[in-house]
Amino acid sequence: MAQKVIMPKQGLQMTEGTILEWLIKEGQEVKAGEPLFEMETDKLTITIDADVSGTLLKIIAGEGAVVPITETIAVVGTPGENISEFLTGESSCQTETKATEEANTEAVPKSVSAESTSAPIVRKEGERILISPRAKKLAEELGLDYSTIAGSGAEGMIIERDVVKAKDTAPKATPLAKKVAEIEGVDLKSVTGTGARGKIRRGDLEASQSKGAAFITSPAERKIVPMRGMRKVIAERMKQSQNENAQTSHTISVRMDEAKRVREALEKAVGFNDIVSFAVVRALTDFPAMNSQIVPEGIWEKEFVNLGIAVAVDDGLIVPVVKDADLMSLREFSAAAKELAGKARDGKLTSDEYSGGTFTVSNLGMFGLDSFVAIINPPEAGILAVGKIEDTPVAVNGAVEIHPVMKLTLSYDHRIVDGAPAAQFLAKIKEYLENPYKLL
Amino acid sequence: MSKKTYAIAIRDVLREEMRKDPDIFVMGEDIGVQGGIFGCTRDMLKEFGEKRIIQTPISENSFVGLGVGAASVGLRPVIELMYMDFIYLAMDQVLNQAAKMRYMFGGKVKVPLVVRGQQGIGRGNAGQHSQSVEALLMNIPGIKVVCPSTPADAAGLLRTAIRDDNPVVFIEHKALYSTKGEVPDDPEFAIPFGKANLVREGKDVTLLGNFLYHGKALEAADILEKEGISVEVMDPRTLVPLDIDSIVASVKKTGHLVTVHEAHRTMGWGTEVAAAVTEKAFGYLDAPPVRIGAKMCTLPFNLGLENAVVPQVEDIVAGVKQSLSL
Repeated sequence: MAQKVIMPKQGLQMTEGTILEWLIKEGQEVKAGEPLFEMETDKLTITIDADVSGTLLKIIAGEGAVVPITETIAVVGTPGENISEFLTGESSCQTETKATEEANTEAVPKSVSAESTSAPIVRKEGERILISPRAKKLAEELGLDYSTIAGSGAEGMIIERDVVKAKDTAPKATPLAKKVAEIEGVDLKSVTGTGARGKIRRGDLEASQSKGAAFITSPAERKIVPMRGMRKVIAERMKQSQNENAQTSHTISVRMDEAKRVREALEKAVGFNDIVSFAVVRALTDFPAMNSQIVPEGIWEKEFVNLGIAVAVDDGLIVPVVKDADLMSLREFSAAAKELAGKARDGKLTSDEYSGGTFTVSNLGMFGLDSFVAIINPPEAGILAVGKIEDTPVAVNGAVEIHPVMKLTLSYDHRIVDGAPAAQFLAKIKEYLENPYKLL
Repeated sequence: MSKKTYAIAIRDVLREEMRKDPDIFVMGEDIGVQGGIFGCTRDMLKEFGEKRIIQTPISENSFVGLGVGAASVGLRPVIELMYMDFIYLAMDQVLNQAAKMRYMFGGKVKVPLVVRGQQGIGRGNAGQHSQSVEALLMNIPGIKVVCPSTPADAAGLLRTAIRDDNPVVFIEHKALYSTKGEVPDDPEFAIPFGKANLVREGKDVTLLGNFLYHGKALEAADILEKEGISVEVMDPRTLVPLDIDSIVASVKKTGHLVTVHEAHRTMGWGTEVAAAVTEKAFGYLDAPPVRIGAKMCTLPFNLGLENAVVPQVEDIVAGVKQSLSL
């Protein structure tokens, strides 16, 4: 019997994946356990092996396609098998919906269904949306944005009948029209459909705009880089951080003479970044408020330090996390950080290795920056931005001396930490770096 | 087909199987001349004699242990407990010996033992004679747990139990003994374990109930149908093995699960079903599973109070509506 290949879920937060390459061509045989395709998730590129043996009868999601998890992307079976049930796509979706719809109308007494409103609602920014898994699944299948659907279940939860209702009032459009409308920011409700049963087609979008509208006629001329995978996650997380945190920053200058000396003494086995990061780890144990997170019950001061170290990679950045850094010596820390950074550059980090951080250090000194302000990596309470080490004239006892100086900028969440303790925390890091023997 | 009571359906299968297989014997309290206090061995002493219908003193730990021993050397004992509550006296024999022997002796020993008896409410028998024991047994591997709700299920499942080479606890319900139903006359009629009974098809909610709640679930479904709610009623029939696949398939269709049993709600079998369904069909659920069961209260002697502790039909109706947010 033919079996479907689905977009696998590779991490807790993964909602969709991008097909990069099919390693088996349509019509070729594949054995269970052999590599079948390469995909990209929010942060990783992975090769997925086949679950079953057989002939790859049909590739449904081609290279470059962005597919929600569990959706069918290919069919494996015996040549000549009828696989039409896997290929119905939009039409099967509609049939299923129809069946559900019928079931639902019969199920819900009229007096009750009247309570479920079909008018779209607006939720507050960041308001948690309660939706049953079944309703969510249906909304996703129908391509409906459920954030504007009113819920009629317990505690205002959106349940199946609410989605069914919303679907009836949502404008129907072809997938292409939907995509174009999304890119161009056109509200489909303002468009009159001319397709079957009033379905909106791409042409209708053009017609609905005032003449001379330049869009759509030339989408091919623009270079559009799809917001997917890592780019999308970074965009979402940075925006989330800016929306939710009360972020502000402090900067301090640190003389690096002694740190340099320590590094020489250790025969450069540890890098400057390791020394700075390790000073941060120690300072975090002194200032647990900086190593905390807001949870529903209050502020969770974590009893462990998992230090994230931002690493630039080809398409963005990733933050490998040194777990339990507070239990390590400087050398152990340096070795762990080095291994993770290598893995990050090779794209070999497992999700465990880039999650669970409690604080992050980001160093852009190698790009010649004096100092910069980093955005907090949520749900952490702060991030330290590290600039370059530069020989700088410094006034010492009334005379000008030249010393290596580095600037550190701490971004912190003012909801958790106030200015004075944040300043003390930064001063503590400075103290460790100017007296690095305390770290040994 | 013949119309007979739940008790007589059990008696007839015991008789038919004993005629076919001389290794089967029955042992328990008052099962001889009296034919068991609920008549499940009526007239059997006359036919099979004292060697195969063995009366025991009040000594559950001993005679269940005797059954385990007899089963392990090749006989096929059917041990009757006058009240399932008394299995607590024999828990070591059932859970520590019978359940584990085949595994711990490397498969060299089989234990084709049936321990059967009645449990539950309905007679105002009070706290030590009205309990539901199935959930305690489900937590220990090696014991099959069977819960027939109709005369036909009692007959078909008892035959499978007697022919099973592993220990089976066959739980009857005292308030069901006098209920009547059609039972196939086929002397080979058997219902396989691990196959839930789809009692009534429906579209909006999956409702699972057994024993008395097989019938009460149907009553609730009738009431709800008048309000336009289509209830799918299932009876798991055997709790070990549990037909989770059929239950999950039904919930995938309806999106709603309600379980109801006379056993206490906390850690009752409904809890296991709700957890398993949540694991296997989370994405299909439109509401959290609803578990209905007896309150965490010792079953009272007074019949009115007994009913106040266990779920009523209106509780089931309310549970279904809760699941549907109605």
